[in-house]
Amino acid sequence: MKFKLSIGIVFGLIALATLIFSAALIAVIDYRVTSKLDGVLWTVPAKLYSRPLELAESIEVNKDNLIKELEMLSYQKVKRPEKSGQFSFSRDKLIIFLRGYKNQRSGIFDITFEESKVKSIKNQLGISEDLIKLEPIVIGGMYPAHMEDRVLLDWPEVPQTLIETILAVEDQNFFNHYGVSLRSISRAFLKNIQAGEVEQGGSTITQQLAKSLFFTSAQTIRRKVMEAVASLLIEFHYSKEEILLAYINDVFLAQSGKRAIHGFGMGAQHFFGTSIKNLEIDQIALLVGMLKGPSLYNPRRNPGNATQRRNLVLTVLNRNFKISDSELAQLKTKELGVARPNYRTETKYPAFHDLVRIELQENFNEKDLRTKGLSIETNVDPILQDALEKSIIKTKAQLIKKYGKKLSDIEGAAIAVDVSNGEVKAVVGSTAPSAYGFNRSINAIRPIGSLVKPFIYLTALDQYKKYNLTTMLDDSKLSIRSGGEIWEPDNFDKKFHGKIPLHVALWQSYNIASARLGLDVGFEAVEDMFSKLGIDKQFQNYPSLFIGSFELSPYQAIQAYQTIAADGFYTPLRSIREIKDTKGEIEFSYPYSIEQRIRPEPVALLKFAMQQTFERGTARGYSSEDIRSWNAGGKTGTSDDQRDSWFVGFAGEILVLVWLGFDDNRTTPLTGRTGAFQVWKNFIDETKPISKVKTSLPRINYLWTDMNDGLLSGKKCKDSLLVPFIEGTEPNLIPSVRRTCSNRIENSDEGLLDKLKQAFEGGQG
Amino acid sequence: MNLLKLNIVIVISIFLYSCVANQNTRDASLYAVPVNDFSRTVELLIANEEFLEAEIMKINALNPSIQRIILGADDFLKKENYTKANSELERAFRLTKSEGALYLRIAHLRYKQGLLKESESFASRGLLLGNISSWERLLLNVYLKN
Repeated sequence: MKFKLSIGIVFGLIALATLIFSAALIAVIDYRVTSKLDGVLWTVPAKLYSRPLELAESIEVNKDNLIKELEMLSYQKVKRPEKSGQFSFSRDKLIIFLRGYKNQRSGIFDITFEESKVKSIKNQLGISEDLIKLEPIVIGGMYPAHMEDRVLLDWPEVPQTLIETILAVEDQNFFNHYGVSLRSISRAFLKNIQAGEVEQGGSTITQQLAKSLFFTSAQTIRRKVMEAVASLLIEFHYSKEEILLAYINDVFLAQSGKRAIHGFGMGAQHFFGTSIKNLEIDQIALLVGMLKGPSLYNPRRNPGNATQRRNLVLTVLNRNFKISDSELAQLKTKELGVARPNYRTETKYPAFHDLVRIELQENFNEKDLRTKGLSIETNVDPILQDALEKSIIKTKAQLIKKYGKKLSDIEGAAIAVDVSNGEVKAVVGSTAPSAYGFNRSINAIRPIGSLVKPFIYLTALDQYKKYNLTTMLDDSKLSIRSGGEIWEPDNFDKKFHGKIPLHVALWQSYNIASARLGLDVGFEAVEDMFSKLGIDKQFQNYPSLFIGSFELSPYQAIQAYQTIAADGFYTPLRSIREIKDTKGEIEFSYPYSIEQRIRPEPVALLKFAMQQTFERGTARGYSSEDIRSWNAGGKTGTSDDQRDSWFVGFAGEILVLVWLGFDDNRTTPLTGRTGAFQVWKNFIDETKPISKVKTSLPRINYLWTDMNDGLLSGKKCKDSLLVPFIEGTEPNLIPSVRRTCSNRIENSDEGLLDKLKQAFEGGQG
Repeated sequence: MNLLKLNIVIVISIFLYSCVANQNTRDASLYAVPVNDFSRTVELLIANEEFLEAEIMKINALNPSIQRIILGADDFLKKENYTKANSELERAFRLTKSEGALYLRIAHLRYKQGLLKESESFASRGLLLGNISSWERLLLNVYLKN
């Protein structure tokens, strides 16, 4: 009796323990189900996009770059575009079937060009459209640790065709079961026997969703039971629509490097380069068909298998009366239509990402960036970015060829920005630009060499009553006591040049004349100018600063040059335009902001002198026509013992700064011209800037002056140059020796003088 | 209506007079241009912000594509949705930098946003354009008086 009682107690305890264990297990599964479906599944990493390219009538466009961009976007060149993602191009005509992006609808557009301008944009009906927008390129994302990438779809965004196809293939009885369906299992079994291959899976959609909640794919009975329990719990907690939507957003479709492509929204982007709403029925059939084996039926890796599977799905749709027999026959003949893998599908442009991250840190926390599905619209121009990357790689190869292996570990950085609005268009932080690592564009703080000189000269020119471009500077020996030592600057050519006009001293980059000018205008005025230009750095009063011992990062240096290139209007550089939430509403923006820091006239004089760097100085080599139409200007820089090679130059609307040097600061055989300028040149030759907008400065007058004594001259006189002056500051002395030649120009070539003046004025501003 | 017409006539007359006056006073010093007569015109425009905004919105871009964007920006501006108005104007600026109508809009937008120094800077930038009309020039000058 006592024994029986004990057995009873033991069984009772076992039953209780089992009950408690089962309840705990269910609670754990329930927690997993709800936390995944309420939380993790709906977290979407922030995506970074390049700028979308817009085309507008009468706007200048570089046609070569446009075609490159279409190729980057995986548009396919054909004879006659018939489906989304195709284009045809002849010399003056582009016909494109746009995929559509946000408010830009998909469709065929006919774009004609007249020289470098867009002449007309017409839609299929021949109606003028004014503007069209290409989709941007995804340049990366703020992925969470699990690296799942998805584009969340909301119920209204899910095409009916997708729902019908999923239900037809995966779970015809979806709306009638409670998560697990014996009927589905038996019917799938029978259908598969009939078809002779696996047409349908036995698991319901709910079970498949439950499956993704567990980390193991082992086919164990324990796991199957857990899946079944999870399925019941999912059905208990959520409506059918919610379950189907979660499934559509969660299914695994492909692996792209470390990134896992989840959901049909991302699948459409990944395989067809467009949003799900633009997919045709055969494309949807392909994606749905892939669910059975994402790797086996991957259309890029196994197009044969993928075609077979797609056709099978189409057959199922036909059997379910979703498409007719003739449609089926026609759809089966269609190519898969998969876009080429987007130009480097993984995160690209690491140096640019660094800039974006720095800007984002000020306004967003890490968690929001990894979960809220934000769209970060950046300013990166993929054409310019690629050209800048190629230029630095190409130049390094050219330098190694010229100077030997000692330059094999030469490093570099380069930045391209829009002159007017401060948008950062391209950044490289290394001579291996696609590699992650030390980003020299923002972290390499180096002596800027002669890049400092325009800051000193602008300080002087801003005192326009005292200095103009022909003010004579002294480039004879200078010896001053500084910090207890005698400081005696040298010129690069180790020569003295006596008295020379101010503009010549700048474009010839004479150190001694520049140091004297710096000392003359004074540390205080120069420090003030540094601040106006946007240099936010401690200033120290030592004279070697005037010839380039001052240290800046390439990013800090280009900010200062932006202010010069933009006529004295400081604009904070920015890599991001706007950040939008999942609904497309602007969550945060980085607006175009300017502040007039320096009067435009002195800046125009400086820009003239910087233009001479191209015309006759250290950056010569371009035609005068190019230099003037781009309103180009620049400055080379070489630090002590040639440890740093710099070049900064503006052409059209683009400003580019380049630095080359060794990380360990050893000497190089390079000057600004032989090193950094070559990167700039390779970049400009590849991208071909668009002409600069003509601006007007009525208080600037142009006069022929002599390049040796700075006094008035004439066009026919030897060594004369047409130089701009602020009204009222012009020289008025004509040496008797030049009276004859200067008169000749005034009398006979007045028309020509006016033309030249116009050409220069066009270039000012 | 008559008052409006009268205003416009006065503004144009004073402006034309000021142009003549400026021609007679070419000075060696850059910043010693007398602006007294000119500023009277400007003050007239400043006195009525609605009138000013209406005048700004009458300035069309030379390029029809840019004008289309501007119309969108104007709608947002009227609805006081400054973020979107700015977004549209920046979009237009990326296509061209040579439209006085754009500088006028953005100077006005910054003024409405209370960013007076920026408003002034945008107006100054617009004044550097070589292709703007005298009326655009005058309107831009209004924002230098912020």
